[in-house]
Amino acid sequence: MADLGVMALLLGLALSAYSAIGAIVGEKLQMAELVVSARRALYMTTLAVMIAAGALINAFVQNDFSIAYVVNHSNTHMDRAFVWVAFYAGNEGSLLYILLTLSIISAIAVWFAPKRLARSMPWTIAILAIVQLFYFGVLAFVASPFELLDTIPVDGRGINPLLTHPGMFSHPPLLMGGLIAITIPFAFVSGALIAGNYGDDWVDVARVSAIIGWGVLGTGMLLGAWWAYTILGWGGYWAWDPIENVALMPWLVMTAFIHSIMVQKRRGMFRMWNVALLSIGFVLAQLGMFINRGGPVVSVHSFAASTLGIIFLSFMLASLVFAFALFLWRMPQLKSDRAMESFMSREASFLINNFLFLAVMAVTLWGVLFPVLSDFARDVSVSVSAPYFDRTNGPVLLGIVVMMGIGPLLPWRKASARSLKQWLIWPGVVGVVTIVTLLIMGIQRPVAIFSFGIVAFVAASIAEEWWRGTTARHRSGDNWALAWWRLVNGNRPRHGGYIVHISILMLGLGIIGTNFYQQRTDGALALGESLVLDNYRIEYIDTGDSSRPDRIAQWAEMSVYQIDPDDYSEEIDLALDQGASGFTLKDSSLRPNDKLIDHIRPWHGFYVDFNMASVRSGIRTTLVEDLYVIPRDFLADGRVSVAVSINPLAWWLWASGPFFIIGTMVALWPQAAVERRPTRKTVRAVSEGKN
Amino acid sequence: MASRFSFVMIGPRVLPSNVGASAIAVLLFVLFFVTTGCIREEDVTLEQRAHQLAGELMCPVCDGQTIDGSNAQIAQDMRLKVRDLLDGGSTNAEVKDYFVIRYGQEILAAPSRSGFNLLAWIMPVIIVLGGIGIALITIKNMRKAGQQAQSLNDQRQFLQNDLADYLAQVDRDLVISSKLNPNDGVDQTTGTGESEAVKS
Repeated sequence: MADLGVMALLLGLALSAYSAIGAIVGEKLQMAELVVSARRALYMTTLAVMIAAGALINAFVQNDFSIAYVVNHSNTHMDRAFVWVAFYAGNEGSLLYILLTLSIISAIAVWFAPKRLARSMPWTIAILAIVQLFYFGVLAFVASPFELLDTIPVDGRGINPLLTHPGMFSHPPLLMGGLIAITIPFAFVSGALIAGNYGDDWVDVARVSAIIGWGVLGTGMLLGAWWAYTILGWGGYWAWDPIENVALMPWLVMTAFIHSIMVQKRRGMFRMWNVALLSIGFVLAQLGMFINRGGPVVSVHSFAASTLGIIFLSFMLASLVFAFALFLWRMPQLKSDRAMESFMSREASFLINNFLFLAVMAVTLWGVLFPVLSDFARDVSVSVSAPYFDRTNGPVLLGIVVMMGIGPLLPWRKASARSLKQWLIWPGVVGVVTIVTLLIMGIQRPVAIFSFGIVAFVAASIAEEWWRGTTARHRSGDNWALAWWRLVNGNRPRHGGYIVHISILMLGLGIIGTNFYQQRTDGALALGESLVLDNYRIEYIDTGDSSRPDRIAQWAEMSVYQIDPDDYSEEIDLALDQGASGFTLKDSSLRPNDKLIDHIRPWHGFYVDFNMASVRSGIRTTLVEDLYVIPRDFLADGRVSVAVSINPLAWWLWASGPFFIIGTMVALWPQAAVERRPTRKTVRAVSEGKN
Repeated sequence: MASRFSFVMIGPRVLPSNVGASAIAVLLFVLFFVTTGCIREEDVTLEQRAHQLAGELMCPVCDGQTIDGSNAQIAQDMRLKVRDLLDGGSTNAEVKDYFVIRYGQEILAAPSRSGFNLLAWIMPVIIVLGGIGIALITIKNMRKAGQQAQSLNDQRQFLQNDLADYLAQVDRDLVISSKLNPNDGVDQTTGTGESEAVKS
């Protein structure tokens, strides 16, 4: 199996090298046949990677412990389902996975590339082939997953316990796929620029491929947050750690791009800017690969320690130089068709939103690099973690949300002050009323209240737009649902965008709720004891063992009661005197208003080989708040030590996911299907009047 | 000339709506400062303060985790120590100092706001303000370029329209005086008139 894999990788290496050289030489010497064969070679690399990946998966399924990578990432008693995904659990395998994704999407992109890009396709093919060549080279010579062992062990080491979660099937593949997918729009645009194809021929294909990569990356990050929330056992979902940051940064830049590409599509402006954004996005994606695959960026020294780190750093710098040089070379040809007409226009608001996204990206990059700088400049180690990013990026992200409410209401070119006022008045009123209501209700934490007001403002602006559009169509005879559907259908990029905006608002609600209103307490419970926090009493009623040869594991069964604080006023007062948020009870007998509402089963496992604990938190979810129980440890005296928290509005974080995906798909859905129906033309004309 | 005229025309219509919009903006701003201005130290329990502090201290043995989130033994010990110090009446700053003395600056999850570390905090402000500044200047420049093109266009339009009016007037005068048909290519739509004029 290993031989087959190695041969497939070498074959792919040769094919991609041939494809790159063939495309360039064929284009330069005007040998059409050579370009065609380069294109076909690019298709064939997909087959080569598939064979290599198949060989590795097969090795896992067969428990082929002659291969080092299989030994290090699987064993005979792991859940069989995870065998299939164990191949991307480590460095070498995930590189193979990235290459597999890249080769498949490259083939699809080249196959479906529009005819009008024919002149620049050789260059696009060459760029795609060169990126593939890099990965083939790394896999074949530096980080081969097919390395053989001299002595074959009886059993493998097993998969990293944190990875044995359903999220493993979706989060890493989506994240890595989303990062590498940015290569596609970059290759199209760079190809067009090298070929001197300055028009807007590449706009649609770049937009579509960028949104696909962006949507996949966004979904991957969201799934990662959900995974962290359910399994990593620290009660949070986003820690601003370097690995998360390097995925977030290209996503932010691509978010800016998919907004500003609309300006180019509709108004023929921002060409230079869009090319720059794609280039930055591509280089940042390489940085992501570098930090993910080259080892975590805990200190600057870990970079230098790994050969892989240096190789990835070189490739990143090469892509940076290439993108920058190409940009400077072709900049004079990238002038806008039209000029900006007003600050009060969608073009202007998109530009401001773009700069805000780039600002968050730059601040994040600064935070990631500052410890390196501090180490380097004065030999003092510092940490830059969540509290820093919350404080620096928080306000800017809030500003972006504000722009989300204003920007879409502005028409292209120029808004009259009157119409702007008409559009802003209701959302403004809703926002202010929300803030005032929350203040009157006695809700604390002013920053959070203000943020809620902004979320309400943006939600109202979307509602207003949909309300006006839908009522207009309703009056002309459609029923409400149909009227709304036709409104959305009439301009999918716009209304798909609104659906994504709604998902961002839901995410915002969750972030505000969990960040500002979380309550926590710690305790250790013996069987029959209870822990009380706010309106919940959690009673530890049962426990059991689920150990396996590779792990020591135990679960706890707990009943969740809703309580009336009056029943517990004595204990609550005592706890407050001691400065505690919650308290434990020896006696769990029912009090008059206790109501059994749920059972939860937190689980705690310790993997000896990895010296690593993995937990499943017990979570009771409602729309308002999550009760979240982390089993920190099962103590020797039979007690379980738990960290209990109430995470307000956490449900909204995960509920935003489907909206994000649906919105992205609506925005992506080809418009052509609508244009075939003549009756819709008037509707489109009307809706585009305002756009 | 034309632009000044249009300003006078649009001026009165712009003004009231601007007042409304600015009123909302001012109201929002005031609300923001009223709401954020009255932040008071809430009567948080010591346990809440301990959690908050735990979120500001890194776990020394884990990669990029705070002691609040970590299940490592040392993190548990540190959490207990935080609570002990708070019970003993320490302020948040004193607790942080306690750990900085023992573990170095690395223990703080966010760099302090003094000395070299100030750079970490100033840079974001520069980035954000600079970014917004560049965006506004870019828009302004793009707009200026647009206005120049626009005013050139206006002039051309003015020349065409006014000259056309003038020529038409001349033609009408000519018609009155000579009773001739007044078409001499100004009004392209009535091309037939010209041929009639030639006939007559």
